[in-house]
This record gives sequence, C-alpha cells and structure tokens, in this order.
Amino acid sequence: MSWLGRINRGETTVDFVGLRKRWFTISVVALLISVAGLGLFNLNLGIEFVGGLGIQTPNPAGADIGAVRTALEEVGISDATVQFLDEGAALRVTTRELDEATERAAIDAIADVTGADQDETSIEAVGPTFGALIARRALVALAVFLGAVVVFISWRLEFKMAAAGLVALFHDLVITVGVYAMTGFQVTPATVVAILVVLGYSLYDTVVVFDKVEELVEIEDEKTYSEIVNQSMNSVLARSLATSLTSLLPVGSILFIGALLLGAPTLRDFALALFVGIAVGTYSSIFLASPILAAWKEKEPDWIERAEWVARRSRSGRR
Amino acid sequence: MSKRLLGLIIVLAVAWGGLAAVISAGLTPRLGLDLQGGTSVVLTTAEETDPELLQVATEIMTRRIEDFGAVQEPDIAISGDDTVVVQLPGVEDEERAIEAVGQTGLLSFRPVLESFTTEEAPEITEEDDIAMDAHLLNSQEGFPDQVLHVGPAALEGSDVAEALPIFDTTSGVWAVSLDLTSEGGTAFAQLTAEAASYPPGDPRRQIAIVLDGEVMSAPSVNPDVSPTTGITGGSALITVGADSEAQQEAQDLALTLRYGSLPVAFEVSAVQKVSATLGTDSLQSGIIAGLLGLGLVAIVLTVFYRSLGLVAIVGLTVFGSLLIALFGLLGEFQGLTLTLAGVTGIIVSVGITADSYIVYYERIKEKVREGLSIEEAADEGFTLAFRTILTADTVSLLAAILLWFLAVGAVKGFAIALGLATILDIFVARTYTRRAVRLMAPGRLGAGGWFSIKGAAR
Repeated sequence: MSWLGRINRGETTVDFVGLRKRWFTISVVALLISVAGLGLFNLNLGIEFVGGLGIQTPNPAGADIGAVRTALEEVGISDATVQFLDEGAALRVTTRELDEATERAAIDAIADVTGADQDETSIEAVGPTFGALIARRALVALAVFLGAVVVFISWRLEFKMAAAGLVALFHDLVITVGVYAMTGFQVTPATVVAILVVLGYSLYDTVVVFDKVEELVEIEDEKTYSEIVNQSMNSVLARSLATSLTSLLPVGSILFIGALLLGAPTLRDFALALFVGIAVGTYSSIFLASPILAAWKEKEPDWIERAEWVARRSRSGRR
Repeated sequence: MSKRLLGLIIVLAVAWGGLAAVISAGLTPRLGLDLQGGTSVVLTTAEETDPELLQVATEIMTRRIEDFGAVQEPDIAISGDDTVVVQLPGVEDEERAIEAVGQTGLLSFRPVLESFTTEEAPEITEEDDIAMDAHLLNSQEGFPDQVLHVGPAALEGSDVAEALPIFDTTSGVWAVSLDLTSEGGTAFAQLTAEAASYPPGDPRRQIAIVLDGEVMSAPSVNPDVSPTTGITGGSALITVGADSEAQQEAQDLALTLRYGSLPVAFEVSAVQKVSATLGTDSLQSGIIAGLLGLGLVAIVLTVFYRSLGLVAIVGLTVFGSLLIALFGLLGEFQGLTLTLAGVTGIIVSVGITADSYIVYYERIKEKVREGLSIEEAADEGFTLAFRTILTADTVSLLAAILLWFLAVGAVKGFAIALGLATILDIFVARTYTRRAVRLMAPGRLGAGGWFSIKGAAR
C-alpha cells in the first residue's frame, strides 16, 4: 500500500519523460494492432448505417415482442428490432441483411408465433437511418471543433500543448475504433455519440494535466522542461487515478453488469467505447501527450539553455 | 445563521426542490423512439423513382424535422424502392409533424407589393398563412432590415427545371442560372413584365423567392427588361454578388431552387403507433447498473477524500437533480428526447463530473501539506482548482456549442447533454462545493481524525 500512499501524497518520482521510448513503444504497438484489426476485421456496422431488411406482418395470434425475439434468436438472429404496430395488431421486424436460408427461416419463425398468413407478410430492403447527411454534418462539426480547440488551448496554454493534445486524441480515437473492429461489437449511432464523449474526455483530461505543467513552468525557474513535466505528472497522478476510477466505475458497471449479466446487448455497444476510450484517454494524457510536449519543448533555445545551465550547476555542485 | 449556510441551503433547495417540482408537474424527461415508441409514417411515391431522388428527399426531411421540433431523434429510412418510413418519437403536434415531413414543400415566386423595415413592419400574425394570396413574409438572414408584403404565387417549385450556381469570370460575379419549364417560362415572363413596369429602386421591381413562408431571396428585375414582354425564353440569371460569401450564397440559393421542395411527391399511406424498439428491460438494466456504478463512485470518493467525499456525494446528487429537471423541462418545451444512450450518458456524466471535486480536493491536500490551515487551504485550493476546471470545461463547452449548431440528429442530442452537464458542473462548483467545504472546515470534519480533511491529506 505504500506506493498508493506515495501516489496519494504526490511523492512518486517516476521519470515519465525519460522513459518516453517505453511509453511510445506501447502506444505504437497498440496503434499498429488497432490499425491491423481494422484492416483484418471490418467494423460491424449496425443497420442504422448500412440498412437491412424490414419485415412487416399482421399478428392475429397476438404474440408479444419477447416471443418474436426468442423465435428469431432460435434461427440465429440476435440483434433484430421488433416493434408493435397499432398496439400489437401488426409487427415490424428490422434486421440486418440475411442470406436466403436464414431469411426463409426467419419468416417461417415469425409466421409461426404470430399465426399470420405468409402472403400478408411484406419484406423489403430498408435503407440506413443514420444517413450521409448526419455523418457529414457530424464530421464538419468535429473538424470545426478541433480547429477551435487548437485556438483556445494555444491562447490559454500554448500551441505545442494543443498539438500534443491532438496527437493523444487521435491515438485514443484509433485505439477505440480498433477495439470495435477486433471485438466485433456493433457500431450504432449510440457508439458514435460515445466516441464523441471519448474525444471530449481525452481533450478535457489533457487540458487538466497540461494546466498543471503550465502552472509549474511559471513558478519553477531552476528546472529543465522535462523535470517540470515529470514533477507535474507525479503530482497529478493521484488526481488521474481518482478521476479515471470515478469515470470508469459507472461505465464499467453498465458494460459488465448491465450488458453482460443483465443481458441488455444494446448497452454494451456504446459502453465499450466509453470504457476503452476513457481508460486510454487517461493513459495518453500522462504517458503520450506529456512526453511529446517535453521532447518538443526541450528543442526550444530557451529551454536548451536552461537544460545546459542545470547540467553545469549539478556538475559544479558535485565537485 | 451564517450567510454561507443560508447560501448552501438555497442551492440544495433549488436542486432537490426543483427536481421534485418538475416531476410532480409531470414533466418527466421525454423518452425517445427506442424506449417509448412513437408514430410511424409510411410515405409512398411513384414506382421506379430514381433512388438518388429518394435519398435527397430523406435528407430534406431530416432537415425539416430538425427545424420543426428542436431536438428529437427521428428514424428516417428508405424502404424498398418507392417508400420512406419515418418514425417520430412521441411528438406533441403529431399532425403538423407528419405534414411537415411529407409535404412537397412550397417553393414559390411572388410579386413584391410593399417593403418594410423590421421596425415599421406590421406584426406577422398566424393568419398570414402561406395559402393566402397576399401576406407578409419574414425575410431570412441576409435581408436583415426587410419584411416583404408579397402577392399570390406566380410560379411554384415544380416550374423550375434546373438551377445552377455559376461564376462569371469576366465580371467576377456569382450568380444562379435558372431554367424554367415552358409553362413556368410563360408565367415568369408575365411576372417580370409587371415588375419591370415600376421604376428602378421601387421595391415592387423585386421578385420574392419564398420557401415555406420565408423569403429566401428577392432579386430585382434588371433595368433593361422591357415592361411589355418581361424576361422571356424560360431562363433567367439571378445575380448574387462578388464578395467572399457570394459563392456560398449562390450555391445555397441554387440548392433551394432545385431541392427546397421535395424532389418527388409523397403520399402518406399509413400512420401507425409503434412500440419501443428496445425492451423496457434494457432501460431497467441500464439504470440498475448505472446506479450501482455510482454507488461504487461514492465509496471510492469517501475512501480517498473522507469527509470531503461526503460533500462530493451530496454535490453529485445536486448535479444529477438539476440535470434531470432540466431534461424534463427541455423535453416539455423543446421536444428534446432521451434515448437509452442519453439516459446512460447522464449517469456517466455524473461520474465524470466527480473530476471537478477531485481536482479541488487534490489542491486542498496539497495546500494542507504545505502547512496552510484547513480554511486557508479550502479557499486557496478553490481559486487554483476553479481556474483548471474553467479551462477544461471551456473545451467541453466549445464542443457542445459547435456540435449543437453544426450537427443533426443523435449528435445534436449529445451536444445538449454535454453542454448542460458542463454548465451545471461549473455552477455547482461555484455555488455549492466551496461553501460546503468551508462550512465543514472549522469543525471536527475539517481538522479531526481519520475521517476529516486533515485525515485525507495525511
């Protein structure tokens, strides 16, 4: 428990900047795995994006929604949407594209529970509801937002912090999307929203961490930039640990208890993005954005001079 | 009673009382299609319609719903090759909503009868309806000081054959070239002939292009147009301008002329009530799991920050109460709907908001270790922490504002939730957190044993 105590008191002395090769390697490997995952397995896009099949049928037997869902699960369709029309007089089933045999089996299964005549069942291809317009507008909004964020952080803190924050942001984004490709969890509009949350959180967390760096830069005038970054990271470690816990606990609970134990599959599709994104977002603020910032700032003439001065002083001090 | 305690009691009363009031007034948050169901409208068009036109039609419908009902998340999908299925979450004015989605859209060219500045214009009343022969129309942005009184429609959207933005390389001016059908061409000649009979500068020389009750553009007829024939040949050029925004304006105007009305006519072939797309068990599971997670958050906060953790827990209930109350109000008055993702998003945002407390508490610990008294640490720590919180929250607010203005559908719903949560976060930190900590500081919960601020800093 003593290391926990040290984190708690901000007394750890981890050399975050000096060990940057190690952190960068971890990130690069994670990124490569994610990109490979995206290349090897396609994202499992929900029918909201790619469209699917709409089956509409009367419901003379008055089957309830759960019964239809169970019947569909028996023929291997687990992610269908089943809706009552006109208080249960008819049913609409929306599902992804099916091969011929499964489609046949699905229609038979539905007819079985609803007691409907198959001649009255209509089957049609359904287009995406999360169409090009929504996606395009979201991307434009995102681009404008990133531009505004760079301006804001440059003004409030500094440009290099904004750039390092963006690197961390893309890192978090690629890994989160990569995890979706590899797990095969469905990407729904809710997932898209969850990824936006992750982007926001990633930046937010980086700003909190960099704010501490900026504060120390103003106070400390006998330390190199790397030392200042190290000192800041060690003192924000307790905060990062506490915050990632309080952010991850509700998400993790929704993911593991809600989705896996209580069986609400729609929950997991976006809870996973939140969980991975928040965890990676916290990591990248400290282990990626900060060392990048330090390495970059150390190249500035002022800071080179400071580093030389500190080195000279420590040599003469030793003598 | 100290001023500080009074302030604290007011904040708690506003938050908890507000939530109770909103709930007892029946203004619970409005639930989305996935949780509560809504209305399904089946719109059918002629068979063998160009799929691209159907696509364009759904995009226009998406925009219209956006304009119609603030923030609800409809499902609009092309089904088969001649049908669009629109699902709307429980809307207040259902008939109007259905009409707004399916109507072909009324694009018209009208003579201008009078022009007013905004100040002197008679008030626009409900009766000045689009179907009436003469009415006042609010002008869009771009005509800030003009309200036009226009006459009956001379041409409609269906009279437009093609409209394209063009750039005249010799004069450097953007314009929209307008091609009309032969019938439209005749009507247009008449309309422009009449306009040309007024002297240049007279508002009546203008032709108003009106879409669904709004003047999109009101170009004047050129001085060289003869008042006896008007503009003949079924084509015309609408000059937009040469400034930097002219290109965008020309493109928008061309789009309006081409697509302002739905490109194909739809017939409403069925309106049905639909049930929720998700079972109620999903919502229940989500809420149970979320609350459980928040319970763990409470434990973590108490273990880490002792008595300060209690302040945070009460603060999180203040935050949560205000957020739910606001969603209730927005659902009622803005048509904001909450989907399953939104509900769990609220739960998650509570967890993330805990960061504001954590940032503050870490500062207090730091200051106490530096040797400050608990009271001093509470004050100085707040000043430092609040600066950080404001900076970080500004990033979130930027995201919320930009997404709100630029995005549509589910993304817009997210923007509202994020924006509200961020503003409330700042509000609670400012009005509640510091007061509560300061009140606690002098007592045993401040400088006492293990379960005190001092205990947390040790």
